[in-house]
Amino acid sequence: MKKIYTTLFVSFLMLNTFAQIDRSKKPEAGPAPEINLEDPQTFDMKNGLKVLVVENHKLPRVSIQLLIDNAPVLEGDKAGVSSLTGSLLGQGSKTIPKDEFNEEVDFLGARINFGSQSAYTSALSKYFPRILELMADAAIHPNFIQEDFEKEKQKMLTNLKSEEKDVKAIAGNVAGALAYTKAHPYGEFSTEESVNKVTLEDVEKFYANYFLPANAYLVVVGDVKFKEVKKLVQEYFTPWTKGTPPSLGFTSPSDALYTQINFIDVPNAVQSEITAENLVALKMKDPDYLPALLANEILGGGGEGRLFLNLREDKGYTYGSYSGLGNDKYGPSRFRAVASVRNAVTDSSVVELLNEIELIRKSPVSKEELENTKAKYTGRFVMALEDPQTIAEYALDIETEDLPKDFYKTYLERINAVTVDDVQKAAKKYIKPEKTRIVVTGKASEVLPNLENILFNGKKVPVKYFDKNAEPIEKPESGVAAMPEGVGVDDVLNKYLEAIGGQEKLSDIESYVMTAEAEMQGMKLNLEMKKTADGKFMQDVAVGDNSMNKQVFDGKKGYVVMQGQRKDMGEEEIIKVKEEAIPFPELSYLSDATIKFEGIETIDGKKAYKLKLSEEKTAYYDMETGLKIQETTMADMGGQPMTSTINYQDYQEVSGIQFPFTLSQTVGPQHFDFKVNEIKINEGVSDSDFE
Amino acid sequence: MKNTILLGLSLTLSAMVATAQEVAYEEYNLDNGLHVILHQDETAPVVTTSVMYHVGGKDRTEGRTGFAHFFEHLLFEGTENIERGDWFKLVSSNGGKNNANTSQDRTYYYEVFPSNNLELGLWMESERLMHPIIDQVGIDTQNEVVKEEKRLRYDNSPYGQLLFTVAENLFEKHPYKDPNIGYMKDLDAATLEDVVAYNKKYYVPNNAVLVVAGDIDISETKKMVEDYFGPIPKGADVVRNYPKETPITTEINAKAYDTNIQIPASIIAYRTPGFTERDAYVLDMISAYLSDGKSSKLYKKMVDDQKQALQVGAYNIAQEDYGMYLVFTLPVGETPLSTLNTEIEEEIAKVRDSLISEKDYQKLQNKFESRFVNANSSVEGIAGSLATYYLLYGDTELINKEIDIYRSVTREEMQKVAKKYLNPNQRVVIDYLPGEGNEQ
Repeated sequence: MKKIYTTLFVSFLMLNTFAQIDRSKKPEAGPAPEINLEDPQTFDMKNGLKVLVVENHKLPRVSIQLLIDNAPVLEGDKAGVSSLTGSLLGQGSKTIPKDEFNEEVDFLGARINFGSQSAYTSALSKYFPRILELMADAAIHPNFIQEDFEKEKQKMLTNLKSEEKDVKAIAGNVAGALAYTKAHPYGEFSTEESVNKVTLEDVEKFYANYFLPANAYLVVVGDVKFKEVKKLVQEYFTPWTKGTPPSLGFTSPSDALYTQINFIDVPNAVQSEITAENLVALKMKDPDYLPALLANEILGGGGEGRLFLNLREDKGYTYGSYSGLGNDKYGPSRFRAVASVRNAVTDSSVVELLNEIELIRKSPVSKEELENTKAKYTGRFVMALEDPQTIAEYALDIETEDLPKDFYKTYLERINAVTVDDVQKAAKKYIKPEKTRIVVTGKASEVLPNLENILFNGKKVPVKYFDKNAEPIEKPESGVAAMPEGVGVDDVLNKYLEAIGGQEKLSDIESYVMTAEAEMQGMKLNLEMKKTADGKFMQDVAVGDNSMNKQVFDGKKGYVVMQGQRKDMGEEEIIKVKEEAIPFPELSYLSDATIKFEGIETIDGKKAYKLKLSEEKTAYYDMETGLKIQETTMADMGGQPMTSTINYQDYQEVSGIQFPFTLSQTVGPQHFDFKVNEIKINEGVSDSDFE
Repeated sequence: MKNTILLGLSLTLSAMVATAQEVAYEEYNLDNGLHVILHQDETAPVVTTSVMYHVGGKDRTEGRTGFAHFFEHLLFEGTENIERGDWFKLVSSNGGKNNANTSQDRTYYYEVFPSNNLELGLWMESERLMHPIIDQVGIDTQNEVVKEEKRLRYDNSPYGQLLFTVAENLFEKHPYKDPNIGYMKDLDAATLEDVVAYNKKYYVPNNAVLVVAGDIDISETKKMVEDYFGPIPKGADVVRNYPKETPITTEINAKAYDTNIQIPASIIAYRTPGFTERDAYVLDMISAYLSDGKSSKLYKKMVDDQKQALQVGAYNIAQEDYGMYLVFTLPVGETPLSTLNTEIEEEIAKVRDSLISEKDYQKLQNKFESRFVNANSSVEGIAGSLATYYLLYGDTELINKEIDIYRSVTREEMQKVAKKYLNPNQRVVIDYLPGEGNEQ
């Protein structure tokens, strides 16, 4: 008996030893995992609110989401009213002042956020009753007050202001407006003008019209009991008065008639934003919804997409290029392929984008591409299931998108059944190169000439021009416009010197002192600058009494003091400071053959001569007044090229000479407006200033 | 309003005992010393496979800093059975995701896959441990990548050098004085031999923990773990014997410069005990008390009421041997840094000299409970916690019991600990200023 045991034991051991795994090959995946999707519990309230509850007792926490599924709202000449409504919600209620409200939420270790037609909160489940009560109270009895309204409006205006020259923001606005028109909720955007038209009453009206229970869903997920949720929701949300939002029509947009480039000139752009777009009529319930998603994913989904592999990995044009395919039950949405690229490769990038868009329709995708993409989708779907929110989201989709009840239960099966042919059919239907609008936002003078010569399928792609409000305009000035007959570099310089006072007056100047100040993130920067005709220079930038950066140059040698650290200037720095030191460098530019005329450009709406002063420096002189209106300098900042732009405005006379009294400097994301306090000529400067 | 809060209070007290959530796990050692922790969770058909190695920035010799982080990069280069460049493709084309990170104390690698690819995850991690390809090509490639990462994350990033400055002033002898990412000259000087020797010393099963968490069958998983990790030979014991610091008894003042910033910052930092010590938990609570949330002491006073600071934050940077406790502020307008420091010290002095209020104490308890609950909300997060508690704290069960430590901390203890570690003569005060520095 004993012996048998031993034998058995030995053979078992042997089995283990010999059945060694083969680690030279990747292990095969096991059978596809089974998906177990629960359904949430639901109930409806008399006022129309639908409630979904997912009980999940794994962790003692709860989240509550309120979502109002109204049709898109056209805000018209008061665009911005919905955002303002969102930011004024959740600031207490009629019965609880804002500060007390915030303090209590903080004490509970919870969070609450509101949108214009939504709200979200999360907390430990033991605080569920109170947090639900607070959220309902703030949602149903908001306390809109003038003071908060003004504060939020100012914030919004500041944001809009900071986006004025933001290429990405402009591109986003205009691409939307051109696709949908500005008379469509998805095409309109807020402007300073439209936000200024909004009043507190408009916010109250917006809230009254749209923050209604008719199309509202309340989703509760977490460690709660359905019965308790039902009781409390009925208690807190019954005061929410029944109502239906007004139904207003808006224009139905249509695709571009032919492939075209729509160009927006943003002269400060160092990168171009490219969006190739067409409208798509795709709803989640459409039978080709999944093949369409896969087609888009293969084309431009993430780091494995064709756009990324081509424009980034292969060509190095951009940090990333992607595509997206929208779906919308209310009407058209968009297919978009996007890239942010260097100015110099803007035209090549447009060509590559068009090629990829064409290719995904023309040729079937490879089996491997499709299989890998399916695996990505499967992984994502499966991983999302871990989060109980997913169950609620899926149930909400089924409800709001009118999907079959088993839409997500059969999701993986249906993904796996998609064929190469299905993908191509979907690509052909939803990606329409023959009606693609390629919206390019960038610097006309550098990118426009080449953009006008793009061929697609043997035909030249026409370019149309728009301003940043998406209004059609004439072609902007670009490239090297010919110098008007009989005008040379010296003429431009002479006209400038004449305009600021004339060479004779300028030669009387031995020295000048300028003091100016700028505001930076709430801090005041003080600038003091002294220059002499014989090339001495001193500049001190201080925050309050603390000098941040001081440069001193006596004509031969100099030093820099930064935060109390003194460093002598090196050779290169001396060359640079010598250029800066001259009070009116244009005097020395006359008859300098290295200075080149580079064309005529529009700077802040004014036509200007562009002179290239050196490798790094370019200046623009107003064609009409002759005054210098802008100077750009290329510099190397920590290995990256950076452009510093100074705009000169508000010229004022001091002792017969015109000086700009506003100097706006932009370096990368930083912007300073220096306002000149005082300029003194031939006084207040002594040699000791340069020691 | 008052009534509601009181009601909330009593609710908390009664609910405290009831909310103990339990993360169930099983742990054992393989013969080669690899510690294995299995955690089953059938919520979704997803599995996380992860390995934490007890090797971090501090494990180096002088002149060879940054090795642990460099290895994190190097060990994606390929193995005897996984070709160079295939690692990420293997993951994404099988529906997974992966990543890795390195601290001064440990290195962590993980993959998340649909559960039918559990074996793939185990294979990949065992390949990495068993026979990674370490050659000059990989070293050269990753040397460049690490330099790029350093430029992006530290050199070109506003306040990117801040923690380095704190560390070099708080530590004199202990390796924590040097940046985790290391000095580039050290990486440049590293030879292939150095690198291979480092791998042999630290990347051994007896210096690591494997966690498999998610939708798994326990006995099948054990067999797979044995199959893939069993044959890996045990290494020599890892001995750590780093120099001890002498206590700071006089305030240290320092200046640092950063060209990427326009607004200066002030930092007050203290050296604190290693994270396994009870005092470290107490310090965690003190920093939350001072600066977590809009109603915290420093935020409310300096940002909201007196408008002296744009931002203020207290951080307890927990590490194995010593911690770093720091308060960081950005001034509004022309507020001098010294004023900020006075204001901060005033609040810290209050913690030393008096008890915090009952209400604030309760708020803290709510916050820590909320943190604890959310920390274990994903299987991926649980896997990381299990590995950390075992490998660095030496007690896996902390995943369920750590909250009890916070709960047991009293107001009196907070005062005692503040008195012990947060005195003006124990601090380092750093003016972190815009501009070019003379160092480095």
